[in-house]
Amino acid sequence: MKYRTFLTTFLLFLFFFNLGILIITYVMFKDTLRQAEERSLAEHYMITSAIVKDFYAIESRGSDIEESVDSLFQPYRYFSSNTESSLVLYKEEQQVYSTSKETLLSKSLKPPKDGNRLVSFQETDNRTYVIVSGKLPSPYDFYTLVYLFDTTDTITSWAKMKNTLFLVGLTLVTLLAFGLLLLLNRIFKPLSQITQTSREIAAGAYETRLSVSGNDELAKMSQSFNYMAEEIHRQMKELITAAEKKQQFIDNFAHELHTPLTAIYGYAEYLQKAALTDDDRLSAISYIMSESKRVQTLSNQLLDLANLKNDQIVWEEQNVNELFQSVKQTLHSKIRKKKIKTDFYSEIDGIKGDASLLKSLFVNLMDNAIKACEMDGHVMIRAVLEDGKKIVCIQDNGKGMSPEITEYITEPFYRVEKSRSRKDGGTGLGLSICKQIVLRHNADLEFISHPGKGMIAKVIFTTS
Amino acid sequence: MAVILIVEDEIAINELIKKNLQLVGHQCTSVFNGETALSELKSHIYDLIILDIMLPEQDGFEVFEKVQTTPTIFLTARNSLSDRVKGLSMGADDYLTKPFEMLELLARVEAVLRRTQKNNQCFELGDVRIDFDSHQVFIMEQLIECTPKEFKLLEVLVNNRNIALSRERLLELVWGYDYIGDSRTIDVHIQKLRKKLGWEKLIKTVYKIGYRLEVNQ
Repeated sequence: MKYRTFLTTFLLFLFFFNLGILIITYVMFKDTLRQAEERSLAEHYMITSAIVKDFYAIESRGSDIEESVDSLFQPYRYFSSNTESSLVLYKEEQQVYSTSKETLLSKSLKPPKDGNRLVSFQETDNRTYVIVSGKLPSPYDFYTLVYLFDTTDTITSWAKMKNTLFLVGLTLVTLLAFGLLLLLNRIFKPLSQITQTSREIAAGAYETRLSVSGNDELAKMSQSFNYMAEEIHRQMKELITAAEKKQQFIDNFAHELHTPLTAIYGYAEYLQKAALTDDDRLSAISYIMSESKRVQTLSNQLLDLANLKNDQIVWEEQNVNELFQSVKQTLHSKIRKKKIKTDFYSEIDGIKGDASLLKSLFVNLMDNAIKACEMDGHVMIRAVLEDGKKIVCIQDNGKGMSPEITEYITEPFYRVEKSRSRKDGGTGLGLSICKQIVLRHNADLEFISHPGKGMIAKVIFTTS
Repeated sequence: MAVILIVEDEIAINELIKKNLQLVGHQCTSVFNGETALSELKSHIYDLIILDIMLPEQDGFEVFEKVQTTPTIFLTARNSLSDRVKGLSMGADDYLTKPFEMLELLARVEAVLRRTQKNNQCFELGDVRIDFDSHQVFIMEQLIECTPKEFKLLEVLVNNRNIALSRERLLELVWGYDYIGDSRTIDVHIQKLRKKLGWEKLIKTVYKIGYRLEVNQ
């Protein structure tokens, strides 16, 4: 592109510049010739009229013209002294007189009969002559006067000037070529930088940016290029995170599925192939049943999670106290088992939302709180109004977790421990479902926790 | 036969492995996390560890780094290549991915034990003594003539004792995958073994499945 621009500009300049010089020199040349012609014509006319007068005078004296031609032409002798011009007189075809020594004229120089004069140019031995030939007026029209004017010098000086012009032109063109090249280099430098940078970005160096300076079009282009690179980088990161999350989900899901399936298959095989006591058989069967139940729960929860994203929810005013009572009832046996002290407190009458979803949300959150607690723990559920927003807090005094972990606990299958232990039961989808329910209610779910200091789960309703 | 430590946090699977290994006469201890596994290894000597990779607190790899002298089979649901390579490059003796079959577990345990245990491999049952190293069978110290296939069949039955083996599986284990033969071949060989060893009651025909060598645990 750079070289094409350079070549095009350069050739265009070369063409028009030389065309200009050509036109100027041509006009000048024409002008020179015209001047020479005019001058020759004027001289010719002057001499002709002078000679005719002289002829009259000679004839009136009764002398012969041809004998006195020499003396007649005496005043024009100076023509022969310089080389610029000369005079030749013909009578019919016969040369009567010539001021120059050599005869340059060809026979073709016969003037037209009608009395006009013939002007022509002739080149002989590298010299250019303007030749004006014309008959003398009658009664001397059998005489022809030819005037020669040597324009070689003017033409030479014109040629010299022309050469100078072209030389100057050549110098200018060379200078221009360098200037143009420098300019184009300057203009194209950001472009080559962009090429380089975009190659780097394409090769995977997404952090590469252009340096922006000035405020011209190129700087603006660099800015939008950087913006584009930034956006691409951001979207790449998002895609990578999404892909990682998906992979994580699949890995975890495979694990969640493999473990019970391994147990089910293993115990079934054991039943089939081993010689067993009744106790062994019973324990194997109960393992098969509980593990099947686990797969069933897992598939149900996955379905719930999938449906939550698509299904329409029913918006109804829910009585908070009734909701809390039913949550307590559902978890009654777990509360009793761990001897958990529970407190319910509400300063809100109702929350708008889907009855079964809200119940399952609070059951899940409270179930988590109970699991976090030791024996004789304490779980408190409060529904309060803060800054005009309805907030439900579920607080426990259990083992808690570090704030960094709370960011991830709503990810499907996320486990606080690295292992995917099932000591507490559950599939690892509970909080993911909670998050989905909360999102469907246009609410927010927050966890505030420190290790050993229990945890507060906050559901912040915005539109309910 | 061997003393095996099972480190697996899933109670159901831990129990399953234990039961299977006990069937063929191994002595097993179950632990459910890395920490108890390490303290158990300090106080007792084990011939083999079956180690789950995903364990609470410290994972199987971390535990393995601290117990490198004991032969180990890694056990995990993750069957990703990187995990397998990592486990093996760390020096694990084998790798088992969930879900696994009983026979696969036993075969791998058997293979690792044979590789790592240097003492003479013998199995005694009543008057019969089988020497796996010299491929000889004795009744009351009297050498019994066995064909190579008969011995191989006997070995498979002993290694998977108390487990019913289908005729197809026996064919596969004794004759190899590419053997194209009648499963009646198995019946004929089983009859011969029963007669030669006087094991008519011990090698049981399991209805609709195959044969099982029953040994009191």
